[in-house]
Amino acid sequence: MQTQPEGLGAWGIAVALAGGAMRGSIPYMFVSLGECLTEKSGKINLGMEGVLLMGAMTAFAVSDITGSPWLGVMAAAAVGMLLGALHAWLTQQPAVNDVAAGIAMIVFGSGLAFFFGKRFVAPMAPQLPLLDFGGWSRVPAIQSALRISPLFFVGIAAAFLLHWIFTRTSWGLKVRAAGDDTQAARALGINVNAVRFIAITIGGGLAAAGGAHLTLYFPGIWSEGISGGQGLMAVALVIFAKWSPRRCLAAALLFGGAQALGPSLQSLGVNGYYHLFNASPYLLTLGVMIATCTPHRRLAGMPGALGKK
Amino acid sequence: MKKAEAVLVPLGAMVAGLLVFGLFCAALGVNPFLVYASIYKAGFGSWYSWQNTLVRASPLLLGALCTAIPARAGIIVIGNEGAIIVGGLGAIWAGLATPSLPPFLALTVMTFAAMLCGGLWIAAEVALQHYRGVSAVISGLLLNYLAIALMNQLIEGPLRDPSSFNSPASYPLAPSHRLGSFAGTHVHHGLIFGVAACLLAWFLIDRTTFGFAMKIGGGNVRAAQLAGLPVGRLVVIAGLLGGACAGIAGMVEVAAVHGRANESLNAGYGYSGILVAFLSRQNPLVIVLVSLLTGGLLASGGMLQRAHDLPDATIAVLQGILFLFILLSDTFYGRFNFTRTKTPEARAAHANAA
Amino acid sequence: MTVPHLEARGISKHFGSLKALDDVSLEVAPGTFHALLGENGAGKSTIVKCLMGFYHADAGEIYIDGALTPIASPQEARHLGLGMVFQHFTLIPAMTVAENLVLARPGLPLVIDWKAETKQLEAFLDRAPFRVDLRARVDTLSAGQKQKIEILKELYLRTRLLILDEPTSVLTRDEADEVLGYIRGLVNEGKLSVLLITHKFREVMAYCDQVTLLRRGRFAGAGKTADLDPSRMAEMMMGEARVQNESMRPKAAPGPSVLRIEDLHARGDNGLEALHGVNLTVRAGEIVGIAGVSGNGQRELVEVIAGQRGADSGRIGVKGEDHRPTRAMLRKHQFYTLPEEPLKNAAVARMSVAENMAFGVFDEPPFQRWGFLLDRAAITQLGRDLIARFSVRPPLPDAPIGELSGGNVQRAILARELSNGQVRVLVAANPCFGLDFKAVDSIHELLVETRNQGAAVLLVSEDLDELLMLADRIVVMTGGAIVLETTPEDADPAAIGRHMAGHH
Repeated sequence: MQTQPEGLGAWGIAVALAGGAMRGSIPYMFVSLGECLTEKSGKINLGMEGVLLMGAMTAFAVSDITGSPWLGVMAAAAVGMLLGALHAWLTQQPAVNDVAAGIAMIVFGSGLAFFFGKRFVAPMAPQLPLLDFGGWSRVPAIQSALRISPLFFVGIAAAFLLHWIFTRTSWGLKVRAAGDDTQAARALGINVNAVRFIAITIGGGLAAAGGAHLTLYFPGIWSEGISGGQGLMAVALVIFAKWSPRRCLAAALLFGGAQALGPSLQSLGVNGYYHLFNASPYLLTLGVMIATCTPHRRLAGMPGALGKK
Repeated sequence: MKKAEAVLVPLGAMVAGLLVFGLFCAALGVNPFLVYASIYKAGFGSWYSWQNTLVRASPLLLGALCTAIPARAGIIVIGNEGAIIVGGLGAIWAGLATPSLPPFLALTVMTFAAMLCGGLWIAAEVALQHYRGVSAVISGLLLNYLAIALMNQLIEGPLRDPSSFNSPASYPLAPSHRLGSFAGTHVHHGLIFGVAACLLAWFLIDRTTFGFAMKIGGGNVRAAQLAGLPVGRLVVIAGLLGGACAGIAGMVEVAAVHGRANESLNAGYGYSGILVAFLSRQNPLVIVLVSLLTGGLLASGGMLQRAHDLPDATIAVLQGILFLFILLSDTFYGRFNFTRTKTPEARAAHANAA
Repeated sequence: MTVPHLEARGISKHFGSLKALDDVSLEVAPGTFHALLGENGAGKSTIVKCLMGFYHADAGEIYIDGALTPIASPQEARHLGLGMVFQHFTLIPAMTVAENLVLARPGLPLVIDWKAETKQLEAFLDRAPFRVDLRARVDTLSAGQKQKIEILKELYLRTRLLILDEPTSVLTRDEADEVLGYIRGLVNEGKLSVLLITHKFREVMAYCDQVTLLRRGRFAGAGKTADLDPSRMAEMMMGEARVQNESMRPKAAPGPSVLRIEDLHARGDNGLEALHGVNLTVRAGEIVGIAGVSGNGQRELVEVIAGQRGADSGRIGVKGEDHRPTRAMLRKHQFYTLPEEPLKNAAVARMSVAENMAFGVFDEPPFQRWGFLLDRAAITQLGRDLIARFSVRPPLPDAPIGELSGGNVQRAILARELSNGQVRVLVAANPCFGLDFKAVDSIHELLVETRNQGAAVLLVSEDLDELLMLADRIVVMTGGAIVLETTPEDADPAAIGRHMAGHH
């Protein structure tokens, strides 16, 4: 992460945190939007962690081989869609437990990612071009904090696009119908299985594209620890965001900020409890889950078919 | 028929998974039959390989129970890794705090500390799902990361042994507190804990009224409530028991393998334990067999690297494939039985019969 | 589009070994209100689903306006002007009324022009007899409102032959008359034909021109309603005349109060209050029936009693003592419950029949030994005994209970609840739902027998006729509270109907 000289002042710290939040939010954004689409159609995909890793590895590998980071992103999305399709097919089989399928996908996806990624544990691959919003400042730390990945804006656009799809297109309505009441949707003549298949596939593609950010942005290396559970935290994020794409955006920024907390504090010289501060995203997620979940009532905004066959 | 199916279906899934893995190897230009031969040789080909396999099997036995026992009570737990780590931390703390105890007592104290820590860790996850609706899968993975953070914090902080240079580690246990091995082998006594735990778990679930009550709660919460059973209590006890098993695995890691707590406490046994539990369809007796087979597979990682230049992540891919196959096998379970009514509910019901 | 002439000839359909339809023929002339009558399992739903393209018949043909027309999918059926209102709702709860109506429209473009759609909807609604708020979310509406919207949806889609599957099961009598009356009007104007599936003779006589009867998947008769009367129709439906069983009446007067529910408040699944202070007393040796349209708190009440839902306040007492759904209390108070949908609420599908039957007693001797061991042989023996006594089929104690048919699961659960000696309190909810007449009769006999032995029986049922036959006292539950109490002799159907409609 970025290092900052001391004596930056409160304003500088705020900017640094904001920059960190924007950076850190990108994987959360993409995965939560992908999971939001998946769950709106009535299925849960707990395997996003594996998808994220495969996306990260694929983006890095393709960028390294072809020299084009954008090709890397697209390749990642394609691989994500394949994994999504696999999950969709798997969970459609009778008697397959959705939760267990997700766990299997985590194991399988991360296994594949580590396997193919072995030969790419090497110095940087071509990175995504950054957008520079910090030109006005003469402080190098602020300048670097405001160099933002273009994927940030792609993610924002995706959130609004998804919202538009859900409210203003017939396909979006069908997804919502399939996710809320499977029986009623079938009676309306909606091919629930096909709708879910496409939704889960695209969801996987989105999540994997978010993985591209992990490896095509500073420090720009591939390693097995590149994701710290963000794939799964995004699932919690969707619950927190009440399955609304625009709220997912806001929640992703919040989680990204939490992730930036540890490194920011460290650069300020707060060195104790380093590990525990870095664990703040997990604590935040846990706290959010405990606060929002309830065993008795249906959660606000939750698609009715989630959890049922 | 049901008993035969309980073993045949997992075995069938493993065979099918190995076949697909073979295709995977072939696609990479490696002769699959040579790979199978290597796996066999490394896992079961010699007495030395068998010992490797047994060593790998013992944390699997315990780790799998951490998923299997709560699963029978109705909650899927995947936070095994975290419970193993916390159990190991508890054991090392207890061991270091009691340097002058005789070996047997020291071991007892460490085991209890490990069981307590691991048990409470998983009980928390299970309670969160039952009482608060927080998915145990999510909380389990989050708590895994928290356990790793806690471990790093402790072995770099209060527990740190200043003389360990390469990677941070805790003070070592006194030699008398170490868990020994079977004479003439390098198989440590942790295997006893594993097998005993599986037998006890099977007995508890299948032959006691407590186990029966747990199965009702795990099968249909509403039916359990109707029968007046204290479902919350049953579920939390299942979590305590499962977590205690994982805790013991952590203790064994610390006391038998390394003699101290260090990074390798976080060795991924937990995740393999989840696979073993699912492969065994949550049946503790089958876990014994499947742990052995899986231990053999895991033991072959090094051989695959040396002989075929395959990265050790290959075993991870194999595990993923096996997992997918055992999931699919749920749809085949029950097809060998001859029943009169074949409604979809009955099929699914039969498929889930354990 | 004109109203089609529909004829089905020789339709047969089987599901596995079950023959649901056997050579059934049916004709609906344009501009008629046609009733399809039959008891549960007669095949009514199956044949209309064949007509609507949800099922493909194994044999037989469908003719529209005289031309052979195979109907392969619901879209094709809709294209021909056929539409159906189901028993379960086909409205999406999380979406608004407008979104639901628009989604049902065939030919919906990928991008929705909400302005145009809304204008079209409002224009249509201006002419409709029911008021609906287009922007309301469906999950905030009552069952009656939802049913009306379902019918409106069909009319919006310009259905010409409307099939209604038990549409009034969730409506009060007044609402049923409102809906059926409106439809009758449309039929009179020649705009619509209707095929009404029902088991209520009252509706058939009041609104229908023609009737076709089915029994056990076979054609059992047809004719004009003007030529038939209810008892003749009943005969054709059942195959033999049903004799009212006079031995239903109790032998002795009821004893002291045993079960007392006081001011019970509880919330439903959506977080809103479902029980608004329920007060109820049941005495020994009497059957109290709770009547009411489903969705007024009956399910939640039984769930609270069964320990499957927490109460916010109030008290359940048995013989003056607080009752809580713990094992000790259930045993002490000899309290037994038979919830509806037993496979979902009272059994574990993957456990065996014998094991399920042992849920109440597995932790007592002789099933528990030495304080913690399970005696599996004893449980299997229990299973054999109860299977024999209660005629559970197939008689396999080790078969998973999920493989049994609905009626046999119900019998197994009944066996479990009623075989433990003295029953002091029995709570049963819709115990006969979906069962054939033989099973229904045997369950009714069991309930009466239990009552005659001095138990306090609380029977929740959506079938008012069942309650009129069995209950000693009838209460009506509406909006989560008891609003009327009466006896079968004094029961005034109009008053009961009004109370069921509540204060909406």
